[in-house]
Amino acid sequence: MDALSSLAGGFAIALQPLNLALAFGGVLVGTLVGMLPGVGPINAIAILIPVIFATDLPPGSALILLAGIYYGSQYGCSISSILLNVPGESSSLMTALDGYAMTRAGRGGPALATAAIASFVGGTLSIFALVLFAPLLSQWAIDFGPAEYFALVVFAFTALSTLSGTNAFKGLAATGLGLWLATVGLDPHSAVPRYTFGQIQLLDGMDFVVVTIGLFAVSEVLQMLEDGPVGEAGKLAYGRVMISLGELRETTATMLRASGLGFVVGALPGAGSTIASFLAYTTEQRLAGAGGRFGQGDIRGVAAPEAANNAAATGAMIPMLTLGVPGGGTTAVMLGALLGLGITPGPLLIQEQPDLFWGLAASMYVGNVFLLVLNLPLVGVFVRALALPRWFLMPGVTALAFVSVYAVNGSALDLGLMTLFGVVGWVMRKLGFPLAPVVLGLVLGPLMEKNLRRSLALSGGDWGVLFDSPIAIALWILALASLAAPILLRRIATPQTDTAEGA
Amino acid sequence: MSWTHRVPGGVLIAVGLAVALEATGFEVAFLTDPVGPKALPLLAAAALVLAGAHHARRPDAEARWPAGGTLVRMGAGSVALLVYGIVLPWLGFLISTTAVVAALSHLFGAPPKRSVSAALALTLGLWVVFVRLLALPLPVGDLWMR
Repeated sequence: MDALSSLAGGFAIALQPLNLALAFGGVLVGTLVGMLPGVGPINAIAILIPVIFATDLPPGSALILLAGIYYGSQYGCSISSILLNVPGESSSLMTALDGYAMTRAGRGGPALATAAIASFVGGTLSIFALVLFAPLLSQWAIDFGPAEYFALVVFAFTALSTLSGTNAFKGLAATGLGLWLATVGLDPHSAVPRYTFGQIQLLDGMDFVVVTIGLFAVSEVLQMLEDGPVGEAGKLAYGRVMISLGELRETTATMLRASGLGFVVGALPGAGSTIASFLAYTTEQRLAGAGGRFGQGDIRGVAAPEAANNAAATGAMIPMLTLGVPGGGTTAVMLGALLGLGITPGPLLIQEQPDLFWGLAASMYVGNVFLLVLNLPLVGVFVRALALPRWFLMPGVTALAFVSVYAVNGSALDLGLMTLFGVVGWVMRKLGFPLAPVVLGLVLGPLMEKNLRRSLALSGGDWGVLFDSPIAIALWILALASLAAPILLRRIATPQTDTAEGA
Repeated sequence: MSWTHRVPGGVLIAVGLAVALEATGFEVAFLTDPVGPKALPLLAAAALVLAGAHHARRPDAEARWPAGGTLVRMGAGSVALLVYGIVLPWLGFLISTTAVVAALSHLFGAPPKRSVSAALALTLGLWVVFVRLLALPLPVGDLWMR
């Protein structure tokens, strides 16, 4: 009941005209940017962060705008997956399978409607779970000392490193790169300059927006230059954006199951939307058995991953908001943005800034409603924007990213670094190194360092302090266990072939 | 075993060692904690060296690198963005942005005339958004201010 009355207070905040307008604008802009081929939530948020900083909004309202962009870009990503078969992020890969098959069969409209409805269901249900679980988790985490935090951050790194790619060592390399970048600048504890190469601008540290835009957006531009005109939108026929009652009934159970699964998986560190959508898809494929036409345009093949990745996107907010430790790339970018706005997520957030937390939760509901009512009728407009030629869209996005970084930071060096990170990111992708751990390492590096040094200062240099409490030991065990997770996961998620082995 | 593994593995090890070497030189006037400013850099360096050593030893799928015209296009795109960062404060927003967007647009396959008109439209659009709507100043160009 307590949570409900707090949530009611949150709605009072979210329904203020300014915040309502921001949630609407965020969803709209997020959808538009996220829809661009190859641009997923990470790109969309990173590109728009400088703009958010520049608006001088109060932190609570800026957070609402940010959340709107997050949701919108996730949905925008499914539009391009369904219509063009170019997922902007790996979490939409599964949507593209049946979504694009439906488009080719002339049923792109129903696929888009299913995606919108499934996203709405997944988003709304998981916000409810967020409201229930987030306060509990912060209660529990309130006693975390520096040693526990250090172990928790290590857990976040190992989980993401093993789950984000094929090879844990590549994840380790990416994490190491991120941690190193995190140390650039004046050491906040001793004021020693580190890795600044004599550049005064670098004393403030490496701007995570610059690194993220470089690694993700600029490298994407290079990748597209390499690929040439693949997935260029010609004339798009997609039919009416509607589904029948029968189809709705057919997908209801799928959406509910996928939402639950997505939320749980999303809340776990490292796993996130990609694995959630993958697991939901394979689960539904299994449950459907011979009656399913998965891979050839089964409507449940769109509903499952879409409900799951939206639910996971919300689930992923839980560790980020209540512990201050995100589990993946997108929430790491969100955390970076929050820190930039002067909001420090952690166990005390709900207690100390209840307006902010409950206002955000309520505006997530509002954002999801906007997403639904906006997208069903407006999808035609979005599709027309998608049909603009790539030689117009991609240079435009690139210029937007560069100009907004320059307008906010005023540093030409940052623009050079963005290009440099773009080249580095492209090489890393070519070699199969995951990019998300770089961002996570960069954003969590300061937290990790602070807690390592604080716990060692308290113990007088005895490293045993890191393994001193039951919670810390449990977190270390989880970190070790996460190294074995991919093997387990591969066994659960092998699609179709096995019959004797249960899920 | 191939170049695709030895080179990146070697680069990772080299970067890791350089990071570690630099970290050993961090001098602190008074120690606020037992490990000081080198702890995290050394941890990062260890991760890089370990991952690099593993990468150099264990081969996996060969990456396919672009060649010829594709490589030139990508190189030209990167150079255009680098040059943009240098000339933006100097030539100002309007000229440099129009130039870089036109260049990129052409690299993405637009005919010259169209890429210039697209660049003009996008540059003006960005100017309206930033200067008019967000009230953020964009560089006018030091060259014209003398």
